[in-house]
Amino acid sequence: MTAPQDGTDERRPIPYRLRWRPEGIFPGAHPGHGEGTEGEFRRHVPLLRQPDPRRIDLRVSLRDPHGELHVRQFAPRRSVPVVALVDLSGSMRFGEAVAGRVADLCALAALSAVRSGDSFALYGADVHLREDVTIPLARRRGLEEEVRERLLAARPGGSGTDGLVEAAERLPSRRSLVFLVSDFLMPSAHIERLLDALWRHDVVPVVVRDSAAEERLPRWGLMEIGDLETGATRLVFLRPSLRARWRREAEARRQALTATFTRRGLRAVELKDALDTDALARRLMEG
Amino acid sequence: MSWASAIIDGLTREWGVDHPLVLGLLALALLPLLGSVFRRGPVPAVALVPTDPLSRILSAVLCLAGIAAIAALVLGLAGLHRREQSVEREGTGAHLVLLLDRSSSMDNNFADRAPTGDQESKSAAAKRLLAQFVARRPHDRIAVAAFSTSPMPVLPLTDHHEVVDAAIDAIDRPGLAFTDVGRGLALAFSSFAGDTAEASRAVLLVSDGAALIDRRVQEALRDAAARTPVHLYWLFLRSRGARGIFDVPPPGEDTPQANPERHLHLFLQSLRLPYRAFEATSPQAVAEAIAEIDRQETRPIRYLERIPRQDLAGPAFALAGILVAMLLGAKLAERRLAPASAARVAIPTDMRRAA
Repeated sequence: MTAPQDGTDERRPIPYRLRWRPEGIFPGAHPGHGEGTEGEFRRHVPLLRQPDPRRIDLRVSLRDPHGELHVRQFAPRRSVPVVALVDLSGSMRFGEAVAGRVADLCALAALSAVRSGDSFALYGADVHLREDVTIPLARRRGLEEEVRERLLAARPGGSGTDGLVEAAERLPSRRSLVFLVSDFLMPSAHIERLLDALWRHDVVPVVVRDSAAEERLPRWGLMEIGDLETGATRLVFLRPSLRARWRREAEARRQALTATFTRRGLRAVELKDALDTDALARRLMEG
Repeated sequence: MSWASAIIDGLTREWGVDHPLVLGLLALALLPLLGSVFRRGPVPAVALVPTDPLSRILSAVLCLAGIAAIAALVLGLAGLHRREQSVEREGTGAHLVLLLDRSSSMDNNFADRAPTGDQESKSAAAKRLLAQFVARRPHDRIAVAAFSTSPMPVLPLTDHHEVVDAAIDAIDRPGLAFTDVGRGLALAFSSFAGDTAEASRAVLLVSDGAALIDRRVQEALRDAAARTPVHLYWLFLRSRGARGIFDVPPPGEDTPQANPERHLHLFLQSLRLPYRAFEATSPQAVAEAIAEIDRQETRPIRYLERIPRQDLAGPAFALAGILVAMLLGAKLAERRLAPASAARVAIPTDMRRAA
């Protein structure tokens, strides 16, 4: 998804499905907890169990050899809070990730949430929660533009992600769909702590990565690199052997991260180089 | 702090600069510690990059190269040089005084006539052979004195063989009338007066005749000989018809007036110095005599070798040039990470959606 101003067809919400039933009372689009009178059909129950003669299913009742009356039971459609938790530490500045694909992703999520009647909240955080990149739960129209503006204006900086834990405490107390957008270049203990803080929620880790820093490396040459968070500099003498090692280590890191998520039953979405809307939609429909 | 001053003293004794104030710019040599020639490329985390000892070494080398390049430039601008040095060396040789007869008879040939055709005068032969002799003995300190009617100091003891060569070159100039050996010898002895080295000392007297030595001069010579032990060589260029120094004349004729050469020989023997006389009747005989002296005077000698001031600005600039070329090469080898998303390579998605 590119900037919205260059096409009319760009703002197309993507559907998403939950693997769980949201609680709450706000009507929405997701089959929720409890028994409702309308919504998604769930099962038939005897009339005695649910004395609601308006929903007697005649065909099923006639088919029943015992002559029992069956009532259709529905799952109520409920809304779910959708939250984007964006890591705004210095490392996210690489390749203008926040202003680019992360803004795209969050705007798309906001649009999709609002269109399907869910509320959306945005929390940006570096060492602390960034109030200027925070939008509380809302379902108003044009929210996606607001989200995009906030993220375009945000200057990632700071060297830490403790603010994400802080933000996790501000999330709604009912189970929400949380997009955890980060490059996850932090110690694994931090990742564990953050995921612990988000235990209540359905977390979709969105791993921001850039092929320039992991795969598309020059074969030969000298490179002085500066850490965007700590400012530490190093000279790297790139050569095929080091390049291979670099790629191997990146691959190992990716696998370790995947293992961390898998232990908690999470499946990450890769946000690599550009937002691939179709792949995201596929992943979200899989639940 | 004595060691610090000793170090500074040692440095300034051997090394120097023309413009000391320029050395203040040496502070600029610290600049490579603050930054490098490369543009810093961002990376999300340094941990992404594998640790690599070779890169670290290269980084240190480039930093040092920058420091050294700036330092070499500044030193070159300041005009670094190595001061004139004198180094004590050990060789074989002697301190030698050439005492040359400049009487007019030296201009004749060994037949005591004016040289004609390809004949060689005694002085020319002496000059040629002495020049060869000196050239064979590069470590000798040589003084040159001449005598005729009166002694003439030509050169004090010196290492500069060009000057000695020039002095020897001049001995075949037309000579003067008389031969005053005694005062000439006194002058030769006095050449060693200021010489305290332990080297072997020798006086090489080259003459074709002799004269009476005044009794007072004789006393003075005995004194001088007792004070300064030298080796004494007399190269007697004997003309045809002249009396030899070893010939014993018939009794009655054996007077200093009749045989001054023989009596000089006897007098020199009586000085109780290591003394040898060579009687040369031809250029070949002179050559043999000189070769014999050359063999005799080969004791170890300490001598000072002068090393002239060495200008090091050129090498300093050359070094700086090499280092800067190295840094330039490194700079040309610079690569950068190109983040894809900065260029917004989102086209595939768009195309897929459009399709």
